[in-house]
Amino acid sequence: MSRPRAEDDVTTGVYRSHWMVVPLQTIAVTLVFVALIGPILNTFGIGWVVMMTVAVVFGALAYALPAWWYGTFGLREDHLVVHSGLAMRSSREVPLSRLQAVDVVRPLLMQVFGMADLHIEMAGGDGSDIRLRCLPRNLAERMRVAILAHAAGLPGRSPEAPEWPFYRLPFPLLLGALTFRVPILLSFILLLMLATAGAVFTEPGVVGAILPLTLGLLRYFWGPLARYTDYYASLSSDGLRLRYGMFQRRMQTVPPGRVQAVRVVEPLLWRALGVARVEANVAGYAGARQGDSATLLPAAPRRRAFALVNELFPESEAAYVPLVPNRSPVPSMVGVDEHLFVSTRGLFCLVTEIVPVERVQAVRLVAGPLARFTGRMAVDVDTPPGPVRAKASCREAGEARRFLDALVEYGRRARVPSAGTERWATRSTLTRRPDAAEETAARPGSGPEGSRRPRFAEAEGRGAEREEPEPGEPETGRTGTFGTPAEGRTEGREDTPEP
Amino acid sequence: METSEPTPPPSPAPQDGRDQSDGRDQPDEAARPLDAAFAPPANASWSRVSPALAWYRRIVVGALCLVAAGVGVPLLLLWTSWPPAAAWAGSVLLVFVVGWILAGRFRRSWGYTEGPEELYLTYGVFVRQLVVIPYGRMQVVDVTADLLEQALGIATVRVRTAASTADTRVVGLPLTEAVQMRDRLAARSESFSTGL
Repeated sequence: MSRPRAEDDVTTGVYRSHWMVVPLQTIAVTLVFVALIGPILNTFGIGWVVMMTVAVVFGALAYALPAWWYGTFGLREDHLVVHSGLAMRSSREVPLSRLQAVDVVRPLLMQVFGMADLHIEMAGGDGSDIRLRCLPRNLAERMRVAILAHAAGLPGRSPEAPEWPFYRLPFPLLLGALTFRVPILLSFILLLMLATAGAVFTEPGVVGAILPLTLGLLRYFWGPLARYTDYYASLSSDGLRLRYGMFQRRMQTVPPGRVQAVRVVEPLLWRALGVARVEANVAGYAGARQGDSATLLPAAPRRRAFALVNELFPESEAAYVPLVPNRSPVPSMVGVDEHLFVSTRGLFCLVTEIVPVERVQAVRLVAGPLARFTGRMAVDVDTPPGPVRAKASCREAGEARRFLDALVEYGRRARVPSAGTERWATRSTLTRRPDAAEETAARPGSGPEGSRRPRFAEAEGRGAEREEPEPGEPETGRTGTFGTPAEGRTEGREDTPEP
Repeated sequence: METSEPTPPPSPAPQDGRDQSDGRDQPDEAARPLDAAFAPPANASWSRVSPALAWYRRIVVGALCLVAAGVGVPLLLLWTSWPPAAAWAGSVLLVFVVGWILAGRFRRSWGYTEGPEELYLTYGVFVRQLVVIPYGRMQVVDVTADLLEQALGIATVRVRTAASTADTRVVGLPLTEAVQMRDRLAARSESFSTGL
């Protein structure tokens, strides 16, 4: 029952939610009323129940109908205008050039009625996002296209940008990756043991232990499994497009330049499989929505994961950033070049964090109270909130300061030409190479791929020894390091006795 | 990947200015490599904040200690005998003296420098920090002054970036200077603006 006008172009006119919202809301309110108040009223007789229910039906209808009618939205030039509220009218006008991400979400119930939610994320943090609820499905899709076109600086009637496939997650890999993790495996084993013990000794007490275990497995095993089933990632000139979900279908679009930082997570057992997960900081996904949308690739071969990183930060190569290990019990390696800050840390779960230097919000050098005795300090790289918290920890004072200066210097150079990412279609700096995805897929073992794998694999075994230049490594990567040109100074400084 | 080739090898860190700056206006108790790490950027020196900031802290600490002593000592005298009351008074006095000394050190630990494209800040006694904020990343710059700050004629310049972890401010600036600094920073954040 979608409105015929949704087939036309959505750049003009006024739109509102699906009309089914009104009866659904009325039914929901009435059911809640009958369930809660009904038993109490029943003591006065069935007549009262019927009368009050009818009153509530009309009351709900009297609210829902005008709320639906007046809750409108529409595009005005490249601004989105949203009117909402009945008792307290509010109207928001949003410049779409500031858009951070667009999601189309369809929970199970909405799929039944052919509806979809449109989430438009702006950079203002929690509460700054716009949720257009319960739209007819094709209106939501067309609106998304028009909004992205406006954000890209194109006229709103332009067709959707073509996409090329990047990665389709096979279900066995998702299932295997989610199962093959130490906490999940341990919980499964514990659950089985408890169940057998409970069955053998007919001891009801084990339920007390089984219940939290089951809840935990539901949250960390079943949750992601249902969420990321049928996962499909594709690239377009509008950025990264993700589609996934079993019961709740989501379609997520992250425009180019909106990803502020990325991390590649490789849990202990996943490293044996060569599987990794990619999470990102996107300025719009603040607060509770972080966990919802921060994951860009739930599980993928490591090579694909780093290929995605290269797609997100075009014209840079995370694998070529020279890393310098620190000398501490907790190994971590950091490096910075003209485009990227890269840090690798973690003893069991290997985390590689990548921040483009032009997106760094602030750099801070932090020396804790013990720094006076150990001479170690940390360099924090501040990014908008998200799962990625990049930092170089436990560094010698001189090294840390050189690192900070290098980061500032590279950031200064990187920021100048880019000059923002609004209206990306009108800029030439952010052009993507459409052939990049196929190129890397076509020759997996050669070229950049061949040298990429060992670079990151090294982090596991290398520990605290100082890194030597690789024989096969290209010279360009080496020149950018903050450690190399001042190597002599480093050694001299480190020899000075520490208090 | 190939695009990094034409760029010349960048000089990673301007290091010359740092060694000379060792003897500058730094807290002398700290170890030398630490001082070197927290030195100002090349061709710049730290602008220190107003001594009124120390007095601000001292007045706050003094008021708190006065309340603690004024309430605690009579109550302890009423309920118990004089030794606990004396111990309480002694510890409050100790806190006051430590707070007094720390206030001065905290004031001296503060420094800021407006570089060509970044704002440099340093502060902290126990946890020393050096914060570098590019002007282009500043989203909001505002000046605040509470009642006591107004009485002392100082103000706080607060700089917000998109990273919520970075609560960056310059405290204890004379009011006119704070307003000028805000206008400068706001103008620069506009001219260096590169989006988010």
